[in-house]
Amino acid sequence: MPAETAQNLEALASQAQTLMSVFTKAGYDAVAPSIIQPADVFLDVIGESLRARTYVFTDQDGAELCLRPDITVPTCRLHLERYADFPATPARYCYSGPAFRYQPQGATASHPREFRQAGIERFGDPSREAAEAETVAVVVKAIEKVGLKEWTVRLGDLGLFSSVLDAAGVSPNWKKRLDDAFLKPLSFREALKGFASGARVASPGIPEELLASLQRDDWEKSEAAVAVYLEENAIELLGTRTLSDITEHLIVIAEDRQEKPLDARAIELIARYAEVSGPATTAGDRIASLLKGAANGAGVALETYDRRLALLANAGVDLERVTFSAEFGRTLAYYTGLVFEVKSAGLDAKSPIANGGRYDGLMRAAGANTEVPAVGAAIHSERLLAATLKGAQ
Amino acid sequence: MSKLTLAIPSKGRLMEQTTDMFARAGLVVRKVGHVRGYRGEIDGLPGVDVAYVSSGEIAAALKAGSVHLGITGEDLIRESISDAATRIRFLQKLGFGFADVIVAVPTCWVDVATVQDLEEIALPFRHLHGRWPRVATKYGNLTRRFFASKGFGDYRIIESAGATEGAPAAGTAELIVDITTTGETLRANGLKILDDGVILKSQANLCASNAAAWTPELEKICDELTSKLAASVPAKAAAR
Repeated sequence: MPAETAQNLEALASQAQTLMSVFTKAGYDAVAPSIIQPADVFLDVIGESLRARTYVFTDQDGAELCLRPDITVPTCRLHLERYADFPATPARYCYSGPAFRYQPQGATASHPREFRQAGIERFGDPSREAAEAETVAVVVKAIEKVGLKEWTVRLGDLGLFSSVLDAAGVSPNWKKRLDDAFLKPLSFREALKGFASGARVASPGIPEELLASLQRDDWEKSEAAVAVYLEENAIELLGTRTLSDITEHLIVIAEDRQEKPLDARAIELIARYAEVSGPATTAGDRIASLLKGAANGAGVALETYDRRLALLANAGVDLERVTFSAEFGRTLAYYTGLVFEVKSAGLDAKSPIANGGRYDGLMRAAGANTEVPAVGAAIHSERLLAATLKGAQ
Repeated sequence: MSKLTLAIPSKGRLMEQTTDMFARAGLVVRKVGHVRGYRGEIDGLPGVDVAYVSSGEIAAALKAGSVHLGITGEDLIRESISDAATRIRFLQKLGFGFADVIVAVPTCWVDVATVQDLEEIALPFRHLHGRWPRVATKYGNLTRRFFASKGFGDYRIIESAGATEGAPAAGTAELIVDITTTGETLRANGLKILDDGVILKSQANLCASNAAAWTPELEKICDELTSKLAASVPAKAAAR
């Protein structure tokens, strides 16, 4: 819903001003990254699903450009331009401006192709939970300031799943596969069932005799075996992936097959954890009782969870309005730890007013020479305005 | 009375096969006016206006509703109309223009047989080569929908206008999504189809546009045309 009437424009502009004043008072520098962005960075970082919703075009010189589909990546790029050599330099930014997304089902009021995002990003802050709690608190403060009274926050935590796996004592090999499987809600249960029944089964199309002949300890012999297999079957080695790339993946598959089946107790714990959902305080108790019997004890997982909630409460966020869902965040792009969304009763469930979280991998993907801790959030301006107007009626 | 507009391919093998099939159904399609013109009519079906349209544009004409009926491949409809189920009715499979839209990777990837395997190599590939695997295709929408249904998102689409099969050997993409009939071209280019890599088994279809202006009279002519064509399609081909 672009501001096509003067009245609407005025309401959005005044709302943006209020949001930005809350952000800048909280210590965030106002920035205005370019609307037109090089397509390459975006397409590499965001994955093909958001790419499909990005307006990409070629300019007169043949350069591939895009209309920014969000403002987080442009802010990362802006930070990298300022601190190319030391990207982990602490910095806080805020912004308000348009972003653009193709809507495959047609543009609607809650899913417009052109919308205004107001947000904050915080880079290089090593105190993780404190930075996360403050991000949530600032967003809540901002939306309350513009007059929205009815709101709830839902939390998720992709890092917590990893900690649960550590607590359950699963091997690094299983951990990697479980982490991958967890990100796919549709097939997770199925995958877990498969893991319970035993070690990995290779795709039938992968030659068995070749897999059986490979060993990591004898890398050269293994690579030679792959080369011989290709030659004997008159298969030409072509394309970007090298003989070594192919051998490495075959060895991983062979190793996965040797792995002991996943322990039944670990599976039980993982399945139960994935179902945790409810008020944030009781969810914490639930996770604690699940982890009580875990092989390696509760470890850092729960500490992090509890500390974050305490910090949230300290920052003035009413925990009564905060829920936690273990499943939440699995399908969102680029997040690596905490994820959260703010909803209002007046809007449909698929239209959060704001969302954000931790995305430690993004800066490196955008070209930084090191990993940079990053946490941020964006408010969907048109939805916030709609919810506020509804609440005022 | 307004006429029923039928779009048929304006040149190439698809046009010949369309004309042959109409002939088998006892319908003679002939051009009106100049031999190089783009309008035609059907003997015995005076209510039908034939428009010769380039096969790539028939889907767009059906989507917009500027023609009532069109003969084109299901692959082109599904690629260019994201909500094909509501905009288009598939009236009759025609038993020619067979083409499978498939995912193919280099045959030397002996470690990759399924989309799941492909997904597994994406991250190591990115670490080694600095980017996600690239998929060369002119079927961007079909590719995205197919991979999304499999939960695979770590790739980049490279638009390919022609000679897609050559992209992996040329180093401009790692894998392809393309159409194949016999698989011969794939083999010649050192590529293999993934075991679960058939996205769509396509053939030429008689399609109706829901966006066009329909009247009971036009519906009747459409039914007549459809039943005549249906009778001339080999049952085996239509059942594919």
